[in-house]
Amino acid sequence: MSTERLRMTGIVKRFPGTVALDGVELSVRPGEVHCLLGENGAGKSTLMKILSGSYRPDEGTILLDGQPYTPATPHAGLAAGVAVIYQELDLLPDLTVAQNLLLGRTPRLGPFVRRAERARLARRALDRVGARFPVTAKVRDLPIAAQQLTAIAKALTADARVIVMDEPSATLGESELLAVFEVIRSLVAEGRSVIFISHRMDEVMEIGDRATVLRDGRAVGVYDLAVTGADEIVAAMIGEAGELVGATDRPAPGGEPLLSVERVHVPGLLDVRGIEVRPGEVVGLAGLGGAGRTTLLRALFGDVKAQVTARLDGRPLKVGSPAAAVRAGLALVPESRKEQGLMLGLSVSRNAAVGALGRPPWLLPGRLGRRLTAPALADLGVRAAGPGQPVGQLSGGNQQKVVLAKWITRGGIRVLLLDEPTRGLDVGAKADLYRQVRHLADQGVAVLLASSELNELTANADRIQVLYEGRNVARFDPRVSAENVIAHTVITGATP
Amino acid sequence: MTASIGSSVTSATGEPGTRSRRGADLIVKSNLLLVFLGLCVVASLLAPQFLTGRNIANLLQQSSLTGIVAIGMTMVVLTAGIDLSVGSVAAFGGMTVALLMTSGVPVLPAILLSVVAGAAFGAFMGGLSAYLTLPSFMTTLAGLTAVRGLTYLLTDGKPAEAGGSEGFQLLGGGFIGYVPIVGIIFVVVTLLAAGILRGTTFGEYVYAVGSNKEAARLSGLPVRGVITTVFAVSGGLAALAGVLLTSRLTVGQPTAFNGLELDAIAAVVLGGTNLFGGRGGVFGTFVAVLLLSVLRNLCNLLGLGSFFQMVVTGLILLVALVLNLLIERRGARA
Repeated sequence: MSTERLRMTGIVKRFPGTVALDGVELSVRPGEVHCLLGENGAGKSTLMKILSGSYRPDEGTILLDGQPYTPATPHAGLAAGVAVIYQELDLLPDLTVAQNLLLGRTPRLGPFVRRAERARLARRALDRVGARFPVTAKVRDLPIAAQQLTAIAKALTADARVIVMDEPSATLGESELLAVFEVIRSLVAEGRSVIFISHRMDEVMEIGDRATVLRDGRAVGVYDLAVTGADEIVAAMIGEAGELVGATDRPAPGGEPLLSVERVHVPGLLDVRGIEVRPGEVVGLAGLGGAGRTTLLRALFGDVKAQVTARLDGRPLKVGSPAAAVRAGLALVPESRKEQGLMLGLSVSRNAAVGALGRPPWLLPGRLGRRLTAPALADLGVRAAGPGQPVGQLSGGNQQKVVLAKWITRGGIRVLLLDEPTRGLDVGAKADLYRQVRHLADQGVAVLLASSELNELTANADRIQVLYEGRNVARFDPRVSAENVIAHTVITGATP
Repeated sequence: MTASIGSSVTSATGEPGTRSRRGADLIVKSNLLLVFLGLCVVASLLAPQFLTGRNIANLLQQSSLTGIVAIGMTMVVLTAGIDLSVGSVAAFGGMTVALLMTSGVPVLPAILLSVVAGAAFGAFMGGLSAYLTLPSFMTTLAGLTAVRGLTYLLTDGKPAEAGGSEGFQLLGGGFIGYVPIVGIIFVVVTLLAAGILRGTTFGEYVYAVGSNKEAARLSGLPVRGVITTVFAVSGGLAALAGVLLTSRLTVGQPTAFNGLELDAIAAVVLGGTNLFGGRGGVFGTFVAVLLLSVLRNLCNLLGLGSFFQMVVTGLILLVALVLNLLIERRGARA
């Protein structure tokens, strides 16, 4: 027998155009809480999907308790003793806890469910994680922490030896998190192994025994958390990139701010104060997932109920709805272009024109649309078979340009809100899109750019606001501050 | 193969995907028309009296009321909604116009009031659906029951004598030559709806909302207003159909138009409008209404009972849906 519970060696996973994992090593001992750390896109999720059986690695081997482990499906992985608890819990909300816990393994007598037996088995599973709520409760009615415990109990009914918890704290409050920590400690006391993924260093330092840090698809170090400081680990996550990468040499635009946000408040979620954007300026919003970037943009756009105290061009900004925001001169390029940005079945020109038709003469939208959108589509260099091609057939970069074209065609944009505009785009398309954004800024538009790719922010923003747990905690000038300093703030919420 | 849109646009025919999709669209559209014409040929061969002017006139007269309602339904379905209350609203419109005229209201105001009442019902149900994000299936199902009940309450369930002038009776029962006046109204309503859908900003919004409600909202479009309006149009047209029936029968029947919603939806779907919104149009519905009516007419001429007609109508619907699906899949693969 090996003293290792799990050994992943030389794991390589390629996706079209990119190498997600480039020879990753991961070793986990029995009875250990092993933390997996890394910035967005470092490869944590991909690695765990390989471990669970959702993905097959292109190269590399996995040993589980010394035996080769090659799960073809998540179900096979679970049967072999590897359970993954994802952030989006895979529970059925309208069923009871007992029904969820024994889904697919319901005790029966002929065609009938043995309810008493099911309740007994479910109770035993809940007791093991120290949960007190009744097994007859509907999952939907439980608080998030109780749902989290249910998911853990479900993982344990399969007698998992390795339990992966993907950012459980993202949805938990302080006291709820402590309850989950208790369970983790009792699990490892039984000799099970827990792989704990989190962005929050304080949690990692509290619960973890060792940590593996991933960066750019490689494991850059394994640390004993009893003797290593948080700063050293954060430095490993960020890497050496100490040089200034702010490619914007031009002086920061001066003058009065066009958009001046005094406060945006969504109780319990967001409390951002004092963000100003001048005409011609691109202000980046950095932050971890859930830090509030999207909520801030949607609140400004009137799409989230929020108390917004802001001024546009000196006048109070009142936005009760997206339609009102558009009238005030705001434009949003939403996070999901397919679900929120475009009407995929309609043509390029119809998509680009739809914002510009709300004024007289109200007639002949097809012909008018083609005429109105032609300049913007040409300037942006949208590549399509013609203006009549359904926008769903275009590449991601061209789709995103059609979203931009919609706002340019409408005209009168004062403030452009961009939410993860380059998600899913290749390198060339990203650069092209940022060129177009900068071009708009040069015409006097104030731009708020939210992105989880910090290097894109440092390369394209004039200033960067860092959001952490719903607050803007720091402001940087990418010409002056090094990227690793900003990254440290993004992860820890405090400047180094 | 691809080119920038702008001065050097390569026309859409340069793209094989687009061409085959267009081809598929064309087949779907003309498919229905071809089936319709084929059915007419078959009908005239099987039943010599089919092609007589009197029969065609009857046919148009019978299908026009359903057709007018189906046009409103098409607009609702294009926004990914559905209006189950049209039958009840039509009956209500027919009753109110009769009652108004017997109580001395002149013809035109009586008609106008009835249609406005229908539109108000529609706007209320559509507005509930739009502003409270309730499924229109549910709000109009409630409307189906409530408005029908209201219609019965007007006269305690008894028919209402319309009285009224000869001019009013001509509206629903009159002919110009062989052409029934209701047929002309049906054609005019179809052309108006087509003009609005294809030729105005409002029509463009209807397609945008049906195609992606969320994207339309985030583009600053008045999504809820658009939805409320199409339901108002549907309610108004349903009430108009009721008025026309009362005009033809000279009495308002509170039991009229039971199950009309299903006939209208069948025509919309057969006409190629996507039940999930964003695709389709009123011309398809127009042809589908005539097709279903010819089918019924043919069964009558051949002496086949109404039970048989129902089976045939159902089968035709199924075949048309499967055909559309196959053609669409082929287009999507290409």
